[in-house]
Amino acid sequence: MSKYYLFQDAKNCIGCHSCEVVCKSNKDLPLGPRICQILTIGPRIVDNVPKAAYVFMPCFHCEDPWCVAACPTGAMQKRAKDGIVFVDHDLCVGCKTCMSACPWGAPQWNPEIGKVVKCDYCKDRIDEGLKPACVTICTTHCLHFGTTDEIPPLRRERYAKAMASLE
Amino acid sequence: MDKGTCPVANNVRALAGLLAEGRIPVARSRQWAEDILRLMKDVGSGRGGREHFPAMEALAKRLQWEGENKACVDLGKKLSSELQTHREVFLSHLETRNCPLGDCIELSPAPCQMACPAGIDVSGYVALIGQGQDSEAIDLIRKDNPFPWVCGLVCTHPCEFMCVRGRIDKPIAIKDLKGFAAERAMSEGRYNNPEKAPDNGRKVCIIGAGPAGLTAAYYLALKGYRITIIESLPMAGGMMMVGIPRYRLPREVIDREVAMIEDLGVEFRYNTRFGKEVTIEELRDEGFKAFFVAIGAHASFKMRVPGEDHFAQVLDAIHFLRRVALGDHHTPGKKVAVIGGGNVAMDAARTCIRLGCEEVAVVYRRSRNDMPANPEEVEQAEEEKIRFSFLTVPVAIEGENGRVSALHCLRTELGPEDESGRRRPVPVEGSDFSFDVDAVIPAIGQTVDKAGLEHLGGLEWSRRNTINVDRASMATTADGLFAAGDIVTGPATVVEAIGGGKRAAEAIDRYFEEIPQPKMPSVPARRQRLECLEVPASIKMVLNRPAMQTLGDDRRRVTFQQVELGLSEQSAREEAKRCLRCDICVRCGTCVDVCRNKMGVDALQMGYLNFDNPGHTDFRIAAERCILCGACAANCPTDAMRIEDRDGERVLSICGTILNHLDLEYCQICGAPLGPARYHDFIRKKTEETGLTTGDKHLCMTCARKAAAKAHGETMPPIA
Repeated sequence: MSKYYLFQDAKNCIGCHSCEVVCKSNKDLPLGPRICQILTIGPRIVDNVPKAAYVFMPCFHCEDPWCVAACPTGAMQKRAKDGIVFVDHDLCVGCKTCMSACPWGAPQWNPEIGKVVKCDYCKDRIDEGLKPACVTICTTHCLHFGTTDEIPPLRRERYAKAMASLE
Repeated sequence: MDKGTCPVANNVRALAGLLAEGRIPVARSRQWAEDILRLMKDVGSGRGGREHFPAMEALAKRLQWEGENKACVDLGKKLSSELQTHREVFLSHLETRNCPLGDCIELSPAPCQMACPAGIDVSGYVALIGQGQDSEAIDLIRKDNPFPWVCGLVCTHPCEFMCVRGRIDKPIAIKDLKGFAAERAMSEGRYNNPEKAPDNGRKVCIIGAGPAGLTAAYYLALKGYRITIIESLPMAGGMMMVGIPRYRLPREVIDREVAMIEDLGVEFRYNTRFGKEVTIEELRDEGFKAFFVAIGAHASFKMRVPGEDHFAQVLDAIHFLRRVALGDHHTPGKKVAVIGGGNVAMDAARTCIRLGCEEVAVVYRRSRNDMPANPEEVEQAEEEKIRFSFLTVPVAIEGENGRVSALHCLRTELGPEDESGRRRPVPVEGSDFSFDVDAVIPAIGQTVDKAGLEHLGGLEWSRRNTINVDRASMATTADGLFAAGDIVTGPATVVEAIGGGKRAAEAIDRYFEEIPQPKMPSVPARRQRLECLEVPASIKMVLNRPAMQTLGDDRRRVTFQQVELGLSEQSAREEAKRCLRCDICVRCGTCVDVCRNKMGVDALQMGYLNFDNPGHTDFRIAAERCILCGACAANCPTDAMRIEDRDGERVLSICGTILNHLDLEYCQICGAPLGPARYHDFIRKKTEETGLTTGDKHLCMTCARKAAAKAHGETMPPIA
């Protein structure tokens, strides 16, 4: 995995898709590719109330990524310094093997340039000391980005509280 | 700006660069600049219309006058001046959808079309013939050449020398296809004139009813002009009629195509020699405001050897051919020597055979390879048992009792190259020999017969006895006087005269409309982008150029029947399928580079793409190696290489040639097509060491993501 972690606190996500919009606008993407995507699970009836969950699906920046292994041209790479998996457009020829190889459907097709695009945690922004575009825009601040030890232990705290309230 | 690059492409590059760098940061100006860029890209890709140019001009002016800061104003100024400087190039792109430099890659011209002096959209009509649309093909040809049938029989087909298919095996039989379609359309009664513009009352006089004059008449008549053609011969056609023998070009062919022009209301005055029977003053009095001189080159060069002028049996080829064409079928003699190695010499020699001459020898001072005549002509002459005496130069014509008796010759050797790039023949001292002949026909070149034009003031004559004109507009130095054809080029081909006539018609129209004449010669127009004919790679490779069926040798020695019998329908349709559609594929080689050097698949063996060193070509290899990844198609700049899913298969084709097709595999959830097994094997091999993917299901990208999200959602604690 990369040294970063992008954590979504799904409890606070309202499914507004701002992250998707800013991601596309930041990467100047046409109709089609969704580098990150909010997927709606549900609605399901829980205690007679319809409930839905919104799951944020970016790229997971795998430790040993299938996409990098599949790429015949060396365009898909893992950045040495922080493990970000990104695609070099100068090398990508649009064979889509990475898209087929990824179990999570992370690499996307940009029909305008005939090349693959994917989440690179906005590495240019990170290098400037900023956070990824999706995290910056997130309305409810449910997206958190940082090195693994910087991520707030929200779920653990929430679980602990829930346990405590059972008493 | 770099010399030799297209201003449209340059401006697109420069403006796109500027915008990408964010040099126009103000939103309103940026919008204008982006709009200009979009319009310019349309111009450079054939999607533009007549309104594009004024729209770009207006936007550039807005930038210039209303720009918020210096950068915007400067950009507006620069674009305005670029548009003004290169106005003609931009308009030419819009009108012809053709970028002669090929910088606007989607508008790269096909080599065949660029080689054609009349600029016919060859790929287009070949495709139409392939679809069985013969009369549509003729309509398309006649946008650039009103003589598809004549050219289909006698054109020197420079297009075929440039044909890219020739780098694989043999060039497409472009000429023969044209002849086939024209004959078909004519016999089916579907050879029609396009709609004529209403009469505009303007009178133009054309001098000479040859290919140049008739072509100009056709295009001007279509524009509504009143055309009168002055012709010294009793019939129309010029050199097509009296220079080219009937066994190559039947009279009916010329008559029918001339009749189409006559149908447009063109008036012919035969047996009228300009400058003799009628003068320019008389014609001006009749109301003619513009004149087009296209009298051809009907005089012969002299050999300048003793005896040439002493005998009635020495008759230059041009006079001989004209005499025969006008109906005099007397043989010139029993044993005839024809001097020269060009097409006229072949025509004269083969005509002699048909008139009953017992022996015909062609005497040529260089070797066979140096002959300017078409190889087919030479072959057919040999089939008709014409003897060739190469490396022989006549030095005297000998006679007895006032009749020619022998030709005195010297052997030659080829010395160093002259300015034409051919080796100069040098006579060998003492190699004299004579052979018995009773007639000599010199065919060593033609020139213009100026009789009748001497008094035409204001013309500028070249040293070669031709009229100097502006090559873009065919305008002479005299006002309202245009010229084209052999009188401008010197003796040349039918199709060159047609090209000249077409340019002159355009210029004469501009002359009346008072539009400035073009500064550059016109660019051939891409008439339409036709769909490619779909052909499997194996068929594309094994189809052969059809051999032209010819009349039997015996018949050829006694009649003037047409020698070439034309293509059969089946061979014509198949021949059209061999075309590589170079109007779409620009042979940049990107597909091969991507497949071989980037993907490491090496499935495309298309050596013909390399112009300088053509390698081996075999379209069939792709079916063995190609994984159908589509990278070639994704990188093709002109959409020549295509990948499509249809009928359960993924299909790769280049300009309709099907390179590979394999069964698709589908997403196991939504049923979306995923690609063929060979593609998935390729990926599996690469990812083997990374380990198995989660689960063994074949999923599409969307379903994979959904499934992952769902799994993720389910592992999360219940939503409180």
